[in-house]
Amino acid sequence: MKKYTFNLIFSALLLTTATMFSQELVVKSNLEGLTMSVGETFKPTSFAENLKGEKIMCQAVIYYNKKGVFSTAKAVTVNRGEGTIRANEPGTHEIVALCIGQQGQRLSRTFPIQVDFPKAKEIKITLSASKVYEGSFLPLDFEVVDEMNFTRKNEFFQLSTDSDNIKIDAFNNVKAVSPGKAILSASFDEISTSLTIDILDNPVEKLELRASLDVARTGDVVSYEAIGYDSAGKLIEGLPFSYTFSGKAVDKSNNASGLIMNDGRFVAEVIGDYMVSASIGSSSVSRPLKVVGRGIEREVLKVGKGVVTDKHTSDFWVFEGVDGRDYAVTGTWGADGTSFFWDVTDPTSIKKIDSVKVDARTVNDVKVSQDGRISVISREGASDRKNGIIILDVSNPYDVKVLSEYTKNLTGGVHNVFIDNDHVYALSGSQRYYIINIKDPKNPVEVGMFEVGKEGQSIHDVWIEDGIAYSSNWRDGVYLVDVGNGIAGGSPSNPVAFANYDYATGAHHATFPFKSKSTGKFYTVLGDEIFPDGVDENNPNITAGFLHFVDFSDLDNPIEVAKYELPGQGSHNYWIEDDILYVAMYGGGVRIVDISGELLGDLFRQGREIGYIMTGTSDAYIPNATMAWGAQLYKGYVFYSDWNSGLGSSKVSELKPDNSKANQYINKTPIID
Amino acid sequence: MNRSLLLILFAVTLSYSQEYYFYVAAESDDTVSLINFDGETTTEIERIPVGVMKTEIEGPHGLTVDPSGDYWYLSLAHGNPYGSLVKYSTDTNRPVDKTTLGMFPASMQISSLTGLLYCVNFNLHGEMKPSSVSVVDPETMTEIKQIQTGVMPHGSRMSPNGRFQYSVAMMSGELFEVDALTLEVNRTLNLDKTHNMNHKGMYHSPVKPTWVTPHPLKPKVYVAGNGSNEIIEIDTEIWEITNRIDTGKGPYNIDISSNGKFLVATLKGDAKTMVWELDKKNPSVVSNNSSVTHGVVISPDSKYAFVTVEGVGGDPGLVDVIDLKKAKVVSSISIGKQAGGIAFWKIEE
Repeated sequence: MKKYTFNLIFSALLLTTATMFSQELVVKSNLEGLTMSVGETFKPTSFAENLKGEKIMCQAVIYYNKKGVFSTAKAVTVNRGEGTIRANEPGTHEIVALCIGQQGQRLSRTFPIQVDFPKAKEIKITLSASKVYEGSFLPLDFEVVDEMNFTRKNEFFQLSTDSDNIKIDAFNNVKAVSPGKAILSASFDEISTSLTIDILDNPVEKLELRASLDVARTGDVVSYEAIGYDSAGKLIEGLPFSYTFSGKAVDKSNNASGLIMNDGRFVAEVIGDYMVSASIGSSSVSRPLKVVGRGIEREVLKVGKGVVTDKHTSDFWVFEGVDGRDYAVTGTWGADGTSFFWDVTDPTSIKKIDSVKVDARTVNDVKVSQDGRISVISREGASDRKNGIIILDVSNPYDVKVLSEYTKNLTGGVHNVFIDNDHVYALSGSQRYYIINIKDPKNPVEVGMFEVGKEGQSIHDVWIEDGIAYSSNWRDGVYLVDVGNGIAGGSPSNPVAFANYDYATGAHHATFPFKSKSTGKFYTVLGDEIFPDGVDENNPNITAGFLHFVDFSDLDNPIEVAKYELPGQGSHNYWIEDDILYVAMYGGGVRIVDISGELLGDLFRQGREIGYIMTGTSDAYIPNATMAWGAQLYKGYVFYSDWNSGLGSSKVSELKPDNSKANQYINKTPIID
Repeated sequence: MNRSLLLILFAVTLSYSQEYYFYVAAESDDTVSLINFDGETTTEIERIPVGVMKTEIEGPHGLTVDPSGDYWYLSLAHGNPYGSLVKYSTDTNRPVDKTTLGMFPASMQISSLTGLLYCVNFNLHGEMKPSSVSVVDPETMTEIKQIQTGVMPHGSRMSPNGRFQYSVAMMSGELFEVDALTLEVNRTLNLDKTHNMNHKGMYHSPVKPTWVTPHPLKPKVYVAGNGSNEIIEIDTEIWEITNRIDTGKGPYNIDISSNGKFLVATLKGDAKTMVWELDKKNPSVVSNNSSVTHGVVISPDSKYAFVTVEGVGGDPGLVDVIDLKKAKVVSSISIGKQAGGIAFWKIEE
């Protein structure tokens, strides 16, 4: 009887609570308006309240940082055991209080939490020029260091001065007006500082502007050097010149655009007349520059095709067989695990000669050993979920044989592979690559592994050249790893990373090392892969991203110097040979780009394109839908694979483009060739 | 007259047949299909492309529909490197929000108690190390916590009252019970017949459990022993194994009808489905229309089991509809490649 009575009362209570939870409720918490200091711990209490102000207790309250569980969410951490939150970093953060009702109804509310910056300990104004001359603006940096040693760069604190010889505007631009000592003052958070500046007489009596060229092509980097002389005609060392340019394009609707660097290098993007200037204080000097077209456009002819009519095509590789003839292998995507082999000895007559079908849905990557005997294909979507790689004997490409399957540590799917000197480099689960010795291809053996070793490490591709593995690690950028080169004492069984470069978008998908024949400089060309709007099966996909040219001449200080970005189209795979880039730009086809000479700025806008190939065909799996996947220059022909069409070949002619069929209203701008 | 009236009533009853709707993921096609079964015929109403990278396989794996029926949730196994959870509107089948989870997120369910979603991170990448259960608030789509469990956890299912989440660790051979409120592991149970638990190195559980499902009415959970070819019954009150039932080859996923009468298990290695009336001794075995049987969900009226079959290579994925009373495939439909995850949405009159 007692038990029934208790159950009745308990049920009634639950019913009452449930009824109350079905009303309009709001979570109330002492988190509301909370301000904390760094290092402070706080115990929140929360409950639900209805419109009448009646309090309803939660069965449990779960608190969490709205940024989630990763390192980005460490600014405020939750200790569920203690029921507390802890402020770790200054700023405004969001904590969610999730109230679980007695009957399980959930109610939540997000509370902004203010974590105060610790009190400032020091403020700094830094002048980044060794000398300041009258008439010039001062290059200044601002920094606050607080009591917990957090540094805030470029914190805005208004400058002031009692000196008559400098002027400060509302945005802290400071101009040196006349020679003499000047004092800049600033205060922030009750801390003050000042900076004394010696403003010098402008000693320059005469200026000279030297240039490496006075007539240049678009894309040519012209070096300027300004030189100042005093009244005695003596050269003045170390003058901090500013370089600028103006100009007029030949095309009246276009701007005379380009890029000028602080060191005086200038590159023009369009044809026209430019004026490059160097100034110091109120003194300046200018020099005209005539910019003409590069004159590099060539006719590109599609000469052969190996159409895949029933599947998407993925990557490909063209190679010389042991019989001296030329062959290619192509993978397939989202299909039945087939790879096709082609005789491409006559690029105008590509013949499908064999195929291999393995247990997979996607064979994303295919590679062939340097001696043309072994091919490795990657597997994704295997029915046993072991994936891994398949090693093939391609010594007779007309009769390809499976030698072995290798799946150890590769069960999450292999997206890309590379073969170099009896070793396969195979990506595993988008995280790392394993190095597998295939000297005995029937019995592959894992000998090494490389991973970046960071939280969220990720990888998309690996490419080997001269004993260096270049891995493309999305947000962690490119890693240069010694796997036999000797530069860092590495080997396949002991891969040693020795250089790295990453960039802000974090979309680093492929790498091609590039030693410029014309300049001797060493670059890594880093490609993005971006689908900004996701996947749309029913319409052409929007792609984005570009190639980043990183000058790696100094391995410890790589500098991104140039980009190739085709408007409206994103980059995929590419090849570089003899200072020419062959890049698959998805819907933009394969683009052939002159990358000779020093590289600086926006290469597409500089008119460096030699030609292009729209890789779609009318008899394709998806007809007339160009979706270029990759390109490879082989024995003078540009081979390519297209996601919708298959394999193709083309030839860059010596001829200028035939404009006889071009739109009569398009006048080509003049070039000097 | 009476006979005519009866005939009319019968005809009216027939005309008000049930319409069943469910979602199925095709892991190697990066699509999800919305499917209708009208009692006789199965129809693919819509094929929804999922993922964001056209030229990368992102692997839609797990599916669940929230209790309101307003949203469905999809785990995408592959990312950079983490997989993700995407929330879709059932009204438009368009994505409305997304969050990152752990490595290879797979099966999941929403707790009726907390409203939180619990998804196992299967981590099918060859790493023999403990993975986790991600807890997500589906309202804000925030991953609140990753709760460490065993090696290759799979089969996330909630207790009927929503208080506990169950999953099994395929390689370490363990059953995990997570407290849905405290977000901590409450209990673990070794499922292997021997107690040679060694989580270091390359221990491979001989049971290789791949799924766990609580009984809707009794304090029991049932585990698919994919490696030991058995269904394991565990009494959750005493937290002990109470029965081991032999099955065909490779039981993989399990569902139990809401009336507690039928247990249906996919037999991956046999391309068959086991239909077991729990109060009877001998289960029936139904052949599927393709190979690699994967997922199963039973309609809430306990009449039909919808079973996904992956196929191999270029084979299309399939959904076989099994009439539970007849223990027979009554309809089938082809969808995208490697059909796997399946979630029931609604019944309409």
